Amino acid sequence: MEISAENIQVQFDKKEILKGVDLVARSGRFIGVVGPNGSGKSTLLKCIYRVLKPTKGAIYLDDVALRNYSAKEAAKKIAVVAQHNLAGFDFTVQEMVLMGRAPHKNALDRDNAHDYQIVDDALKTTGMEAFKERSFSSLSGGEQQRVILARALAQQTPCLILDEPTNHLDIRYQLQLMRIVKESGCTIISAIHDLNIAARYCDEIYVLSKGCIRAHGAPHSVFTKELINEVFGVKATLLREQDEIFIVFRE
Amino acid sequence: MKKRINTIVLPVLVLVLGLSILLAVTIGSVQIPFTDVYKVILYELFGIGSAELATGAVHDVVWLIRLPRLVLAVGVGMALSISGVVMQSIVRNPLADPYILGVSSGSYLGAVLALLLGLGKMFGGNAVGVMAFIGAFIISLAVVALSNVGGKASAVKLLLAGTALSAVCSAFSNFIVYRANDSNRIQILVNWTMGSLGAAKWNINAVVVPIVFVCAIFFWSQFRTLNLMLLGDEAAISLGVDLYTRRILYLLVSALMVGLSVYSAGMIGFVGLIIPHAIRMIFGSDHRTLVPICALTGSIFLVWADVLCRVIIRGAELPIGILTSMIGAPIFVYLMARRKYSFGV
Repeated sequence: MEISAENIQVQFDKKEILKGVDLVARSGRFIGVVGPNGSGKSTLLKCIYRVLKPTKGAIYLDDVALRNYSAKEAAKKIAVVAQHNLAGFDFTVQEMVLMGRAPHKNALDRDNAHDYQIVDDALKTTGMEAFKERSFSSLSGGEQQRVILARALAQQTPCLILDEPTNHLDIRYQLQLMRIVKESGCTIISAIHDLNIAARYCDEIYVLSKGCIRAHGAPHSVFTKELINEVFGVKATLLREQDEIFIVFRE
Repeated sequence: MKKRINTIVLPVLVLVLGLSILLAVTIGSVQIPFTDVYKVILYELFGIGSAELATGAVHDVVWLIRLPRLVLAVGVGMALSISGVVMQSIVRNPLADPYILGVSSGSYLGAVLALLLGLGKMFGGNAVGVMAFIGAFIISLAVVALSNVGGKASAVKLLLAGTALSAVCSAFSNFIVYRANDSNRIQILVNWTMGSLGAAKWNINAVVVPIVFVCAIFFWSQFRTLNLMLLGDEAAISLGVDLYTRRILYLLVSALMVGLSVYSAGMIGFVGLIIPHAIRMIFGSDHRTLVPICALTGSIFLVWADVLCRVIIRGAELPIGILTSMIGAPIFVYLMARRKYSFGV
């Protein structure tokens, strides 16, 4: 499923956060959105997963405007991994992941063996099956993040939105998470802090700066010394090895 | 685990509730033999036995006083504990109770207006109850309206609106009470705030209990959304539910239940806070089990609380609100002191 954002503008009071952003994620592609803090990455993603309404512009899923979908129908198309907190209540890991089945259920439906199987598979994929009966709030930040990923997988959607999904994860699980989502075959749009991880896993990169798309394309063509210096304000050396690119930062 | 809760815990609780009622109906300040009590009930329910059972003191005590109270206890206990669960989800705060969004102050103002200013005379006998119900419901509507001023209502805005309107109602109530010099009626008012199931009658139960049952089943059917409410707006919308309309709907259905319990039994504290907490501790926060277990446990709790009220002081009756608070507050402190259960703070 293709996701496209057309001329997305977002204003809070008088402040323009996004100034007309266009983005296309073709079916099955892994799109990375990078940019410094405050560049509008999260705001853009929140427009796509419906937490924010853009002031102008629209999001399309395969040419159908997202605003024409009900919340439930949209949740069958797009799953989200983001930073959420539980505010004082607790669920078991299994209960948490089972909530990923909610968009597929009517009010009086019960969760059947099929749903539990999907939950088990998702937990296995993220390596959390041993934690099934544990309480969610007793897990470490990284383990919680993997449970949220399992929930998104259990949602069985054609699209995945990841809002800085590798926060809290150690390097091994950062790589594991990126590999899992890449192998899911979903259309993926992810905000990513770590430029090397973005370069390693993404098919395309959008560089956001001050609410505008500053550059767009394949990682090896987007990332240059000049762009990194201009957008992030740091000096970097780029090592290229065939199609791969490694960025080393300097003071 | 889930399967065991549905196939074992719920039937056991239903059984305990049934036995509690059967046992509780034999207990009271007047000593009546078991067999006489059940004969009256069998006669009234199924027409078994002689017609003499339909009259006399034993019949009146059992069928017109004790049993209606117990049935009302079941309804009110269910209403308060479920709306406690629902309020905690709506405002996403484990310290919420059924009265948190101004319902207590609203119904108190209604009762004050009825008792001290004589408003609501057209409602007849239970003007205080009806006015309290109206007060509870109006303030819930007002809280919803106020929390939508300047942008959609969120959990925090609901809490703020509830607190603000609560203060307004309390101020007016206190002003009226302060200006009134009718110590008799003020005493009645004080008793009302302590709650009692003493006014229970079959015709009141016939309204209150079925509506509470329907609301209870409604909330049970909403278990998925209630779960998602605990995750917050952003996660809920990504899982397919826009909480905004659901919050308002649940708030009004809950106000209906609490309003009915205030109408029929006055203010009964701590039930709606303690029961959800205790059940959460044991069975977790998943509403597919939390809602029915709380409903049954709340009913059982209030049935026995009412029995205690009737027998704890010889020849007099302790207001049930005092008793539930006396039992509830120490349990609450105990829960707080247990390190395992931190109220999520």
